[in-house]
Amino acid sequence: MFCLETYLQESDDYKILISRAGFKDCTKVIEENAPEIIYVNAGEKILGARIIGIPPIPVGINEEEGTILFPYTKPCHGTAVVEIPIPQEEIDKVRELNIKGC
Amino acid sequence: MKKALVLLGCPESPSQTPMAVYVTYKLKEMGYDVTTASTPSAMKLLEVGDPEGHYIENKIDIDSCIDKLDKGSFDLLIGFIHKDAAVSYFVTFNSILDATSIAIIFEKDAEKLEDFQNMVSESTNATIVSARAFHNPTPLRVRFDKALKKLNESGEI
Repeated sequence: MFCLETYLQESDDYKILISRAGFKDCTKVIEENAPEIIYVNAGEKILGARIIGIPPIPVGINEEEGTILFPYTKPCHGTAVVEIPIPQEEIDKVRELNIKGC
Repeated sequence: MKKALVLLGCPESPSQTPMAVYVTYKLKEMGYDVTTASTPSAMKLLEVGDPEGHYIENKIDIDSCIDKLDKGSFDLLIGFIHKDAAVSYFVTFNSILDATSIAIIFEKDAEKLEDFQNMVSESTNATIVSARAFHNPTPLRVRFDKALKKLNESGEI
């Protein structure tokens, strides 16, 4: 089973667009950098990990690159925006979490 | 027995640990079974301060807790907030649990304090207990006691 925490520790196939930031700054980074954006509720699970933040939480989708961009919060380290590659079927599952219509 | 969850973030402020013990004490007096979800560093401070677990009995790592959390897991949520990340965690826990909640917000900087208060009030129905506090937990204790009394008298807890 995929574990996001383990992936971020053991893989280098991801990008950090911003780190140690406030949540609102991270939402701006996602909205400015993602070709497609959906909005999810706080606590939704993406790749097995809860998305932590203030809803509606933007999650970016780059179908061409096969990646998603999402806020990643840790209590002592603030919030980062992480972009990781995910399979197409997972991108489709992420789209189903959208709370803001088409 | 009613269940309460106390949520602790980064323990940078000296006020958090003694207030967490105090909050747990007050809730246990009211008949709550209290669980504390915290970061490893906040948990170490609690373990050193309460080595025999007189107050802090049930402890869980914050990320393990949120992973298993569901609506109805707890009847009351109390969250300590003095960083932006803590606001995000509190709002998320509140969103999942959909229970009565109290946000204890404390910051030295008045502008940041107001910011955190606004973020919490815009995203939740939590009762807000806030003060410009860092070293001295007394302002928080006084306001927490008032809020707890009010919620108890109104039957919300």
